[in-house]
Amino acid sequence: MAEYIKLIDLTKCTGCRACQVACKQWNELPAEKTGFSGSLQNPLDLSYDTWTLIRYDEFEEDGGTKWIMRHDACMHCDWPACVKACPSPGALVKTDTGAVVHDKRFCIGCKACVVACPFDIPRYSKKEEKIAKCTLCYDRITDGKPPACVNACPTGCLQFGPKEQMIEQAHKRADAVGGAVYPSNPKYETHVLYVIPTEIQLAQLQHVNPNPKMPTTILWWKNLFKPFTLLGIGGVAGLAALHYMIKGPHRVSEKEEGGEADG
Amino acid sequence: MDISRRSFLKLTGGTLAVAGIGVGVGVTPALAQPRKIRYASEVPTICPYCAVGCGIIAHVRDGKVINTEGDPNHPVNRGSLCSKGSALFQIPNNDKRLNAVLYRAPGSDHWEEKSWDWALDRIVRKIKDARDKGFQKRNSKGQIVNRVENIASLGGAGLDNEEVYSLVKFKRALGLVYIEHQARI
Repeated sequence: MAEYIKLIDLTKCTGCRACQVACKQWNELPAEKTGFSGSLQNPLDLSYDTWTLIRYDEFEEDGGTKWIMRHDACMHCDWPACVKACPSPGALVKTDTGAVVHDKRFCIGCKACVVACPFDIPRYSKKEEKIAKCTLCYDRITDGKPPACVNACPTGCLQFGPKEQMIEQAHKRADAVGGAVYPSNPKYETHVLYVIPTEIQLAQLQHVNPNPKMPTTILWWKNLFKPFTLLGIGGVAGLAALHYMIKGPHRVSEKEEGGEADG
Repeated sequence: MDISRRSFLKLTGGTLAVAGIGVGVGVTPALAQPRKIRYASEVPTICPYCAVGCGIIAHVRDGKVINTEGDPNHPVNRGSLCSKGSALFQIPNNDKRLNAVLYRAPGSDHWEEKSWDWALDRIVRKIKDARDKGFQKRNSKGQIVNRVENIASLGGAGLDNEEVYSLVKFKRALGLVYIEHQARI
């Protein structure tokens, strides 16, 4: 199956939050109790039941206020740190469409992915003892439909299509508006791309990692230490078997038995 | 048990092989997520909320609406919806939705459940009485108007296009002139 990319053009977002509602509706996620915070951002953060969110960033510009609305959800990394960190096979899987999908049936709630994610996306539920995040609507895209958020977007801010086509479109649009494409790290590709207008610095936006990369600790643990521990476990089991074959089962001597009765 | 050099090597090899299993095992179960609307029939409808009139597909299975989403083939919205239209699913599927007629008598402080037959009969009776009382055949200038000025109608946001159409036809037939809709207020 072809690889897909979701393109988010920040110059076109009006902050209508149709994507947020469509996501809840398709994935059958319950609503959250929210309050007033002084911002239009509502709820304030992603959660187990909120997989995508419009983040509102306010800037002062020529005495007025300027808003940047940003659709924030899983970036679907090409080499996902969460999948690398996940110890439970099948709980987090990178699919051949590019979508990184979680499966609640296999999740053991260890929160390794929450720590590993360079974009701080997976959210843990204490009640369910599992994590949840955006799946790029894997069940829709494998059936030839765009993700629920893209389908709902009225302004064309969210677009969805084959990888090469979307990358080309992103750079074309970035050139046209004089902006930049994010993330731009060629060593850490994602299946979600942003077109960010020039006047905005990435560091000014909330919840953005300007330089996403695979955490080194995960690589040390997964590629070096963990194989050694597994080797150690296997070695202990193997040596125990070897010992059994050479020495046979342990026999209790009569002398020891007597001693134990006294004690 | 005595151990020769040969069997020691064999056993050592076996031990390492067992140790290797721990490293080599990596199971990735296949993802089987059948799309929930695959075997549902698609019913096109119009969003009831505002005057734009976006096209919506309702996916129906076993007589239940299991999903609603923007209709990609509709010329008005081409699949997109606003946040309100995206939440249309909550109109047919809502545990806060009333399932029976509730009636509060004039001056009463509580609601009581009534049957549909009782409610419809009562509504019809009230409309008939009010219309008979307030029907004007001619206005003050003597022109034929055939209107009813003592009944007003207010349409709700949950009504869809077709429902509103038939309601307006019905009200015009009664002679109502005060017809309003929530979306216009």
